[in-house]
Amino acid sequence: MGLLSLWPAMAAINDIDPNKTAGNPAAPVTIEIFSDFQCPGCKSFHERTLPQLERDFVATGKVFVVFREFPLAIHAHSREAANYAVAAAHLGLYRPVADALFRDQTAWSVSGKVWDAVASVLTLSQQKKVKAGADDASVLGEIMRDVNAGNSVPITSTPTLEISRGDKRYPLSGTLHYEFLKNLLDDLSK
Amino acid sequence: MTSPSKTLRAVTLVLRIGLGIVFVYAAWTKLRTPWELFAMEVDSYQLLPLKMVELVARTLPWFELFVGLLLMTGFWLRSAAVATALLLAGFFTLMVRAYAKGMEIPCGCFGANDIISWKTLLRDGSLLAAALALTVLSFGQRRKALRAASPEEK
Repeated sequence: MGLLSLWPAMAAINDIDPNKTAGNPAAPVTIEIFSDFQCPGCKSFHERTLPQLERDFVATGKVFVVFREFPLAIHAHSREAANYAVAAAHLGLYRPVADALFRDQTAWSVSGKVWDAVASVLTLSQQKKVKAGADDASVLGEIMRDVNAGNSVPITSTPTLEISRGDKRYPLSGTLHYEFLKNLLDDLSK
Repeated sequence: MTSPSKTLRAVTLVLRIGLGIVFVYAAWTKLRTPWELFAMEVDSYQLLPLKMVELVARTLPWFELFVGLLLMTGFWLRSAAVATALLLAGFFTLMVRAYAKGMEIPCGCFGANDIISWKTLLRDGSLLAAALALTVLSFGQRRKALRAASPEEK
């Protein structure tokens, strides 16, 4: 509790797994990214916008990022992908698995072979743990908490970013052009 | 029994106040948040270059507020009604285009996360119909007033 009071973002968002975050929890601005591993817009955001965001704002301590799962029912394999990603997060391997899932999204979306993408970035012992953890109640519960958090925004499409500074909250969806996002974050993080 | 002209005046009043409130509310939802949020919604339609997106995002909410206040106060009613109908026709066309293309984007109507769907189309279509009705009524009342002012031309 004492530690949480030092980190406003962590205190405000008390249900997050520290392995699914990036940056300094004491940063003035927090961005919760609600995404679906099978959504093309989320792939584009993860591969194009997120690296710029991390370079300009996360690395400089201005923004704290929280990754949230929001698997949409219209995507046949996104729930399975989220299970693997969250299980990998428990081993501190969320980002490499998330990167691989988005990298190979086009392939596994069609073939359904989600595990192939996940396994490609894990050692054999990690693979065993992630596979076993994917059906664990704690993993499923964590995803449910993310979905519930998303529903309270409420989220109607992915990716959705909920940007917050203090008690101000701005949900953002659509094309999320980086130039406008950068302008907004520059203003908010002053 | 109420006369037809009284009924039409009442309908005009209801339409202009109703549309005025909608426009002022639409402006308020955009002006109370940083302009970049609305800019990203405008950009989602993928129609305008970035500079134009910024211009629209910075000016359109103020124009909506202006038109909304004109409608509510009744000043320059015919011009305000025409502006309202043109704006809503433009919005509706863009939304139909985006929906037809399967774009899952926020409509940019009343703040964040209002994703285009048949419900938003129905809502904006109804507003457009109301604005067109208001335009017709406001010009009709003007014609009637002119005729009443010059009875010798009968």
